[in-house]
Order: sequence, then C-alpha cells, then structure tokens
Amino acid sequence: MSVSLVSVMFVAAGLIALGAFIAAWKRQLTAALTGLPVMFAGAGIAFAGVARFSAAASGPPLIGQEMAVLLAIVALAAVALGVGLAGRESSR
Amino acid sequence: MDSLHAIGFYVSAALAAIGGLGLAFVRHHERRGLALGLLGLGVAGAYASLSAGFAALIALLCYAGCALLIARRDYRTVEQAVGTVWRQLGAVAAAVLFAALAYAAYRGDFVHATFYGGVFGSNSLARLMFAHDAPATEAVAGLVLVALVGAAFAWRRERPRDHTEGRP
Repeated sequence: MSVSLVSVMFVAAGLIALGAFIAAWKRQLTAALTGLPVMFAGAGIAFAGVARFSAAASGPPLIGQEMAVLLAIVALAAVALGVGLAGRESSR
Repeated sequence: MDSLHAIGFYVSAALAAIGGLGLAFVRHHERRGLALGLLGLGVAGAYASLSAGFAALIALLCYAGCALLIARRDYRTVEQAVGTVWRQLGAVAAAVLFAALAYAAYRGDFVHATFYGGVFGSNSLARLMFAHDAPATEAVAGLVLVALVGAAFAWRRERPRDHTEGRP
C-alpha cells in the first residue's frame, strides 16, 4: 500500500466538492458557513501533497506546507467572522 | 512512503470524510461542532502523514477553534432566502466539480521529486514564512486581525441589549 500524488488529489477533490455541497445545501447561514473550512482543508491537503511529492528542487520545497498553514488560519478567521455576523443579524 | 504512513493517510482521509459528511447531514449544532472537530483531526492526520507535522499542529488548533465556535451555547441561526431549486442546482454543481477535479487528478501528468524535508519542518517553515514570504504572512495576519475584531465588535453590540432587557 502506498500513497501517490494522485490519491492525495482525489482526497482533496472530495473534500473541496463536499465543502461546496455543504455551502450550497444547508438552509441556515451558519451551517452553510461550515462548508468553508472543509473546502480549505481540501485545498490544504492538495498543497501539502504537492510539497511532499512534486516540489521543485530549485524553489523552496515547503511552500505548499506554508499555504496549508495559512489556509487553516484563514478558515478559523472566516468561521469566527461569520458566526459573529450571524449572531448580530439574528439579534435584530 | 512506507505502509504505516500510507495507512495513516487513508485512515485520516476517511476520518475527514466522515466529519465532512456529518457536517452536511447532522442537524444539531453541537453535533456539527463535533463533526468539525473530527474533520480537523482527519486533516491533521493527513498532514502528518505527508511529513507536514507543523501544519498538522496548526490545523488541529484552528479546526478545534472552529468546532468550539460552532458548538457554543449562544449559537444563533439565520435562515437563507434561497429556494429549493437553487440548493439542488448547487448540489449538482458540487458533484460536477468533484467529477472535474477527480478527472484532472487522474489524467494529470505530475512531476515526481524526492522529498528532503524533515517530519516536522518548523524551522524551514518559519524561515519561509518570516523571511521569504513575509508579505503573505503579514497579509494573512492582517486578515485574521480584521476578522477577529469584526467578530468581537459584532458580539459586543448584542451583549448590552441582553443585559438591559431585564432592567426597569
């Protein structure tokens, strides 16, 4: 059993599509908002996979991991802002 | 990559998929928070299997924060004014997106290179983030600051109303 970049990309594609499905399918705004971290997780896995299997020898090899870290932080910020705005909107 | 790492990757991917499906189909927000935590655990495991230990640690912390935000007690719901037809079209579009991405992954001709980085890689990542790509790191830090200030401002606006409602 082994892992290749193709299998990593399949997992990433599944998570991105699942996040898009959650964002489109959920009726509540805060529930639909949870699709964003799922999509970011898929993108982060794709970046980390590229850094692991196909990083160019000339450039910095860990730039995919850097993007994965930044995407996780942006997911947290997006959920915090969305939950805060939804709470403000529902208190009117 | 040896078999142990491969098993870890596939188990973590299955955990992430279960968490994502739970997010899609579970009704109560506490359970959605739990599903988001499970997704974060799976994503962190996948990162760790891909020799990205520092990214796994950061992802675990960030997704735990997301799960706590979703599962908190004063959770509010806002109904969207989107019809059922548009939601079904969005679901079909998500399926088409998956088919397109999977086809691109299957047909893609990827370059293979040997990985020389370590398992955790925090030193190399810190050098990359704070020396090579400092503007990108500062931009994300600014975005996070604006988002957290906005969230705190939104929460603080509703709190005085709750306190003053019971006063004469």
